Amino acid sequence: MAADRADYLVIGGSAAGMAAAQVIRRQAPSSRVTVLSEEPDMPYFRPMIPYVVTGRKKPEEIGLQGNGPYTAGGIDVRTGSHVDSVDVSRKSVAVKGGGRLSYGRLLLATGSRPYIPPEIQGTDAQGVFALRKLSDAREMARRAGDTNSAVMLGGGLLNLKATFALLERGVKVTLVVQSPEVLSQLMEPGDAGLIRDALDKAGLKIVTGRSAKGIISGKNGVAGVSLDDGSEMACGMVCIGKGVRPNIDFLPGSGITIDKGIVVDKNTACSTPDIFAAGDVAVTFDPVTGKRIMTGLWTNAVEMGRCAGYNMAGKKTAYAGTFGIMNATQVADMPFVSMGIVHTKGSDHEVHVRASGSTYRKVVFSPDGERLVGALFVGDITGAGMYRYVIRGNMNIGRIKPRILDGTLHYGHFLKG
Amino acid sequence: MQEPKEIFVDTSRCTACKTCEIACAVAHSKGGNLYAALMESPAPKRRLYVEWVSPDKHVPVLCRQCEDAPCMHACISGAISRDERSVVVTDTDKCIGCWTCVMVCPFGVIGRHLETHKSYRCDRCPDRETPACVSSCPTKALIYRTAEEFSHGVRRGAASELVSGEGK
Repeated sequence: MAADRADYLVIGGSAAGMAAAQVIRRQAPSSRVTVLSEEPDMPYFRPMIPYVVTGRKKPEEIGLQGNGPYTAGGIDVRTGSHVDSVDVSRKSVAVKGGGRLSYGRLLLATGSRPYIPPEIQGTDAQGVFALRKLSDAREMARRAGDTNSAVMLGGGLLNLKATFALLERGVKVTLVVQSPEVLSQLMEPGDAGLIRDALDKAGLKIVTGRSAKGIISGKNGVAGVSLDDGSEMACGMVCIGKGVRPNIDFLPGSGITIDKGIVVDKNTACSTPDIFAAGDVAVTFDPVTGKRIMTGLWTNAVEMGRCAGYNMAGKKTAYAGTFGIMNATQVADMPFVSMGIVHTKGSDHEVHVRASGSTYRKVVFSPDGERLVGALFVGDITGAGMYRYVIRGNMNIGRIKPRILDGTLHYGHFLKG
Repeated sequence: MQEPKEIFVDTSRCTACKTCEIACAVAHSKGGNLYAALMESPAPKRRLYVEWVSPDKHVPVLCRQCEDAPCMHACISGAISRDERSVVVTDTDKCIGCWTCVMVCPFGVIGRHLETHKSYRCDRCPDRETPACVSSCPTKALIYRTAEEFSHGVRRGAASELVSGEGK
């Protein structure tokens, strides 16, 4: 039998991997592009899985292929394929359960997995979830039908989305947050007032400044949670949202440079020839702070994956990096966008805040006031992308600063002459 | 394939009368005429915005149908795609109102229907030969042509200016 070989091999069938595969198919139409995905499902829009929990979407309605920009055909996607190791000298990978695939160029886009804090006891009980995969969503949907109360550990965006999915299912939800306020990665406690009000109004119970010690289980799995203040809460399910960690377990010993995640240069290339990395697993940089960062955002992963795809297909393309903090969404009836440097307590940034009863607007400038470095908009997010453009471009804002301050910036201001 | 037409803007001709904004909102209303549109709820929305640049320039801003449209790639629900007219369109059934497109659009031209929790943008008036804004513009500041036709016009304009300059 001829050796199984792909001109372009992608490990990981989510945002970064599939975005890269699409680009490669278009750039090199006659090449063989293979994607190995360890999940049993064909690639899907991962951020949509809360809708599977609510039942608003069926799993087959959130598939990637044929939707949005994912229209290129001829990509060989192999599900249920977990890669055990990479042999960089033979240019091949070993797939769990036997089998070896060789490659011309390889993309590592294995993403990340939920971080389950080891100090919380009993997290292997039935009914403990971390909403990451479509399979998690299916199980969560099932469990939500059998219970009427849930405790969520962690006040990040992902857990809030899971929270709203459960609220919609009629489950009573208590959110336990270690930080003084929800969404602490995306805003400071003083900035979260409107969102907190919206969450309270939505019927969510929030406990801040507490963390879980352990999961209490009974004969049907989860029966409650014990907290660090000695109290206990009864519940039928638990959802953990404590951040993610990169999937790099298959790489030690391969010779590929790792520093928490996979280290890449500005063209998304790894330390070893013909190997690239993109998405949650890759270490990239923040153009505002210059720091090396890892992010876990679909939108970033797609952008970086596309960039990797171009580089792999021979069109040299630099990745512009991304903000360590960037996200947009709506919680309850409150939309918000957070991007760049928004945590300013104790820093010497120039900060301007404008607040009304229904909107909150914080813009952050460099200490000399000449560059926009961050923005948080709550309630009114009109034109947020232009501010992102200004931040990312490290622009000297000069005459448009008043427009940034009062929120009247528009594209006409960027035109010359 | 025929090159798609684009909406070009000649800012020197724009007087900020905003006729285009009204025509756009009416074209996207249920009733399809100004009087019916005024009474509708949710109120019909315009998808282009006549903006003022100090001291005296006016710029109608609208979706540029970016080649590598950031909104399309950023969308987390697969709601944004490019149609057969080469226009970037949002499928409102698929849109979940996460506003990621709003966060990444560098032109700031993606609007939000608060009532329905969906985003909206210029759709180039799929049912019209010429988009409503272009047809309505009394000063011909909005131009609907292929890029080739448009640049040809610009070149010809420049050439005639040169010629008339030489005659002086």
